[in-house]
Amino acid sequence: MSYLSSEDDVAPLLYCERPEWQDVTPISQYEAVSSPIAPIFYTPEYKDATNYFRGVVKTGETSERVLELTERIIRMNPAHYSAWQYRYRTLLATNAPLDVELKLMDQIAAHNMKTYQVWHHRRLLITQLTSASLAKDPVDTATAELEFIGNVLALDTKNYHTWSYRQWLLAHFDDAGLWLGELPYVDDLLLEDVRNNSAWHHRYFVVFGRGSRSQATPAEEGEVLQREIRYVKDKISVAPNNPSAWNYLRGILEYSNTPFSTLLPFTEPYTRAYVQPTDDVVDLDNPKPSSDATLPCVAALDFLAEAYVRAGGDGVGKAVELWKQLANEHDTMRKKYWEYRIKEALEGKTN
Amino acid sequence: MSDSGQITLPPLTKASHASHCNRCLQGLPAGQIEVDASRVAIGFYSLGSLDLLGLLQSKTIDAEREAWRVWLWQQQASGSYGTGFKGSSYMTGHDRDPVVDYSEYDTPNLIMSYTSLLSLAILRDDLANLDRIGLIQFIKSCQRDDGSFSALPNGGESDLRCVYCAFTISSMLDDWSGIDLERSIAYIRRCESYEGGYGQAPYGEALGGTTYCALASLHLAPDSPTRLATWITPAHRARTIRWLMQNQGEDGGFSGRTNKISDACYCFWCGASLAILGLGEDVDSEALAGFISQCQFKFGGIAKAPEARPDPYHTYMSVAAMSVLPPSIPTDDWTLPPLDVLWNATKETVAWLRAHVTEAGIAAAHAS
Ligand SMILES: [Zn+2]
Repeated sequence: MSYLSSEDDVAPLLYCERPEWQDVTPISQYEAVSSPIAPIFYTPEYKDATNYFRGVVKTGETSERVLELTERIIRMNPAHYSAWQYRYRTLLATNAPLDVELKLMDQIAAHNMKTYQVWHHRRLLITQLTSASLAKDPVDTATAELEFIGNVLALDTKNYHTWSYRQWLLAHFDDAGLWLGELPYVDDLLLEDVRNNSAWHHRYFVVFGRGSRSQATPAEEGEVLQREIRYVKDKISVAPNNPSAWNYLRGILEYSNTPFSTLLPFTEPYTRAYVQPTDDVVDLDNPKPSSDATLPCVAALDFLAEAYVRAGGDGVGKAVELWKQLANEHDTMRKKYWEYRIKEALEGKTN
Repeated sequence: MSDSGQITLPPLTKASHASHCNRCLQGLPAGQIEVDASRVAIGFYSLGSLDLLGLLQSKTIDAEREAWRVWLWQQQASGSYGTGFKGSSYMTGHDRDPVVDYSEYDTPNLIMSYTSLLSLAILRDDLANLDRIGLIQFIKSCQRDDGSFSALPNGGESDLRCVYCAFTISSMLDDWSGIDLERSIAYIRRCESYEGGYGQAPYGEALGGTTYCALASLHLAPDSPTRLATWITPAHRARTIRWLMQNQGEDGGFSGRTNKISDACYCFWCGASLAILGLGEDVDSEALAGFISQCQFKFGGIAKAPEARPDPYHTYMSVAAMSVLPPSIPTDDWTLPPLDVLWNATKETVAWLRAHVTEAGIAAAHAS
């Protein structure tokens, strides 16, 4: 027994020192000039592994040891896309169990959420795993996958790649049951952080975007719209200065060609300088700003002006007044933008 | 709230930023291993920064620039998908085959082809080695059925960033035969989100970088002069402008998405988008410069946010943003050469590229 192998924490041997790799000819990297652009001072382990990787690609070997080699490279550099491409090819060529691969990827993904390749590889695996020949139940696989994504999003609730992957998965399987679970999920995320724009975006994706295909009649669509308007009003009342919620409101009104002016009774209290004392009658349709809200709310003034200008007539004058308030008082950073809006409106460009 | 009259802008420490970029060109520590496959991009951000700062000639020596040109040409490779540039030598073996330039696992990359062309132009290469016909074929190989482009011809990411690179290269070559334009434009339009910005792909959350890619592509398209208003209708244009403006935060910087914190790179992506839409003058550029000034790292380079570590990408994007949206009270140290906002390079570099890469430019050069 060598003292080396009895240690658990010893670094793995370099491939050039491993007898079982002796049959592979390593190929070192060619730089062409002595001072190339941004050379990286590779660690000996990386240099060694990539030398053997180039050797393997050259001979076209696909085998279990190639899986070990590519995993090692990916762990050192998750953006090594050639290693990912070659790994996927090797998985298919060796008939490797893809559910095992997926398990391994669970671990790698959680550590490399910001690396595109990690998510692309998963797409390939899931697509292949649920293709007819492998007879995996697609919905079971997708359900497990949604749970995995949820765990990863819990670590970073706004990760763009992870959200894109979730949306791809839902669209790919396009199963009514899967879509159904998404609104409660979004609800939870917005309860945790009402300013999470990725969650708002996902809500739109599910209700009005790709997920809306499952909705049937116009009456049902109308109900859904009313439900969403109520939902976003409630969220605005909790935290009025939240552009994500206002953008969502504007988005769904535009999607459904609903005039902004229908929201005037709701919006107006948010444009006043202070919270009005609540009267006895609570208007559930038009929840008031929370008592600790900072008012007036810039997004509400913006919305109200938009509603006025779209209504035309003397609305243009009212909108101009609001834009002046924004430019000179409430949103001075965008002073020139509000002045641009005034100019456009007065020239008759109301859009 | 900005009160620009009272803010004194700290200097833009050009020489120290140039040193940071120069250091990155010389070499990167092992900790930067994730850019191994995309060193060409690091080169572009570094060289682009030096170009904008006006310090390329004084901070680098002839022999280095010559070596960088040689190295960049080494990344040009031809094969069954056409000709393009690889992102680095990371898959190039010393036993490379002079006939077969690339395998399925070592193809050129569309994004890296765009950055290589700009880098070569910054280095004032005569571009005589460019395989124009092969490059058009390569662009064609990267287009997908949905109109999008992928960075690699044989799979992988396909999104608006790659569409932008395909459009820009076609614009550089003044040859659009590699693109099915109708499909691409339909794809770009499908990427617009309800917020007004464009996502990375259809149904994606509105994002500053890809909004720039969408707007620049639509403005570069050859029939843009007559058709732009149908691709970006007045209502859509207004919505996009509103979203872009909304992304400028209290600290003066831009965020890439609604309710995210400011980041120096989005000062360019959002600011340049507004400039493309004709609203560059309406941005609070003093507040913007104030934010960028805070992102300067004390030992050189610009970081994504105050107190963060600098890198060539954020350095370049910050300086480019300051060229497009200069503070209106100009001071010597904040004055930068003008940028071509669609190609994302200095106007001088763009003129060089145009003169050396388009047939018309080459013909004009020969005639004179
Ligand atoms: Zn950034």
